[in-house]
Amino acid sequence: MELLTGLLTTAFLAGAVLALAALGEVLVERVGVVNLGVEGLMAMGAVTGIATVTAVPSPILGFIAALVVGAVFGMVFAFATVYVRANQVLCGLALTLMGSGIASTIGRSYSGMPAPVTFQPFKMPILSEIPIIGPAFFSQNILFYLIYLILPIFFSYLMFSTRHGLNMRAVGENPAAADAAGIPVNLMRFSYVTIGAALAAGAGAYLTLAFVPSWSDGVVAGRGWIAVALVIFAGYRPIMATLSGLLFGMITALGFIGQARGWPIAPAFLSMLPYLGTVAFIIVPVLAWQKMRRAMAAPASLAVPYYRDMR
Amino acid sequence: MFSSFRIQRLPSSHPGIALAARLAAIVIALVVAGVGIALAGMNPFDLGARVITASFGSSFGMEDLGVLVIPLILTGLAVAVGQQVGAWNIGAEGQFYAGAFAASAVGLFVPGEGPLILILMFVAGLVGGAAWILIPTLARAYANVNELITTLLLNFVATLLVYYVATGPWRDRSGMANSATPPLSTSVPEFWGIVHWGFPIAIGLAILVGAALAFSRWGYEVRLVGSNPSAAKYAGIPVRKHLIMVMLLSGAIAGLAGMLEIAGTVHRLQGGISNNFGYLGIMVAVLARGSPIGVIFSGAFMALILNSGIVLQTQGLTTSVVLAITGFILFLTAIGDELSYYRITREKPEGAA
Repeated sequence: MELLTGLLTTAFLAGAVLALAALGEVLVERVGVVNLGVEGLMAMGAVTGIATVTAVPSPILGFIAALVVGAVFGMVFAFATVYVRANQVLCGLALTLMGSGIASTIGRSYSGMPAPVTFQPFKMPILSEIPIIGPAFFSQNILFYLIYLILPIFFSYLMFSTRHGLNMRAVGENPAAADAAGIPVNLMRFSYVTIGAALAAGAGAYLTLAFVPSWSDGVVAGRGWIAVALVIFAGYRPIMATLSGLLFGMITALGFIGQARGWPIAPAFLSMLPYLGTVAFIIVPVLAWQKMRRAMAAPASLAVPYYRDMR
Repeated sequence: MFSSFRIQRLPSSHPGIALAARLAAIVIALVVAGVGIALAGMNPFDLGARVITASFGSSFGMEDLGVLVIPLILTGLAVAVGQQVGAWNIGAEGQFYAGAFAASAVGLFVPGEGPLILILMFVAGLVGGAAWILIPTLARAYANVNELITTLLLNFVATLLVYYVATGPWRDRSGMANSATPPLSTSVPEFWGIVHWGFPIAIGLAILVGAALAFSRWGYEVRLVGSNPSAAKYAGIPVRKHLIMVMLLSGAIAGLAGMLEIAGTVHRLQGGISNNFGYLGIMVAVLARGSPIGVIFSGAFMALILNSGIVLQTQGLTTSVVLAITGFILFLTAIGDELSYYRITREKPEGAA
């Protein structure tokens, strides 16, 4: 019982980082852009979060600052990929290198010390008394509910139940047709790439302000790449992205609990679990669910720049 | 009469402009880095002079560069070879570790020394690197799973694996250092100063692969698969076979980089032996526009950048600055590449003869 509670609590905490970053990337990829810079954006968000709360002791301000920094980097990336139409893979890799490099340069002075203030969990009356799910789900911090409930439901509704969402998906599937129908393709792409980048940086801030909570070099540890992979696994759906983030939180939690309880497996192997799990989870579904392929397919114009004047 | 200008996008980019764009990207990135350094309260010209003296001022500096160039040429070549067949191998870092791991296993546990062990280590490095890319390769070839993410994720697994054996079962139990294996029994002999024979091997391999791609039937087919897979399939070229073979070759070359690094430079296996060589290899390949011969030159350039990072470290800056500058150059290069497709033409006024 105690084991299960601990597992779920850690899984929810660890999963929130991946869920938020993956949700952001879903928005980016739905409009037809691949942003491989999530890892770098998360590093920037993580260091912005810790630097802000060191100056001003407010975790919410730290989170907002990370969103702003992420949006600025996102705009630079979006300008290059959407308006200049530069290669998205190269720009994404460049963003990862820049973000990780700048973050660890800035982060050196914050290295090793715990975050002075963090997002504090609050217990919901009565609900938090429920065994197992009470402590795991009803005794968390405010961001937690934003990440697991508000954002995925909001974006899922937006994407699949509004005209704006239909336009957004049209831009990712067939930008020429969308353009002919009067949808501002480039503006749509620019906006969602920016929002997605902001959310990725926010996921980084969550890492240093709620989950770890401190900065150290390499604190992101490939979570950005796992988030990019989860988008494929989640079939480009906001709610599925959140749930798969939780699934990988579970896998991470399994590793933590194994280490804490001294399971006879070397910690290095337990740390490999999320990476190996991700590789397995993007290969196996392709082989297993042939029928689902169409429903889970990537937007048709993913990573294809749109040239209005190309005839 | 007014003449107007028109911007035209051409079907192919001009190689001279693409090269100029790379040079411009490097210059802009260095200027921005210089301004950043100046803002941090240091003199960028002074630092630049130090970097130049440290790299070219003495034969020691040149030898340091020569040692750094070896893994960079090889990881760059690994990425470039993958690009030729249309595959993004972002996992050179992991294959580097896997090659180093396999070669160390031979060096530590196969009794004896001398050329035979060296050859075995060489083979182990190649096989280790190829084995590390096997799953992403098969997933791409048979299920069309994007190799970009699978190769990258395995980097973390390889890093953890090497860290585990170097601090755990293979740890040197005799000395004070407990985060590395004992020295390997055999090493790659020196070629010039501290530069080992990996140097001519890396350059020779780049030339060999470049020649094979440019002049052989195999190379022609591979390039066709890379540029237009459906046309290649229609022409009866075994697309899948070429894809698998070239991706495995790419992994093997990165594994060889790892083998040469431990057998020639470090002489023992430890965590973090790769100075991000795998990731910098992507940069080397992109700067060379995927050309195996070009990789020799862009590898040398990256060695200079990396070496200046080591010089900057003594001046109180971190090597992560180098990573950031590298990323910035890559970003500007991507933009420059796209712009090199455009041409500004002067349009003749309507009605003029």
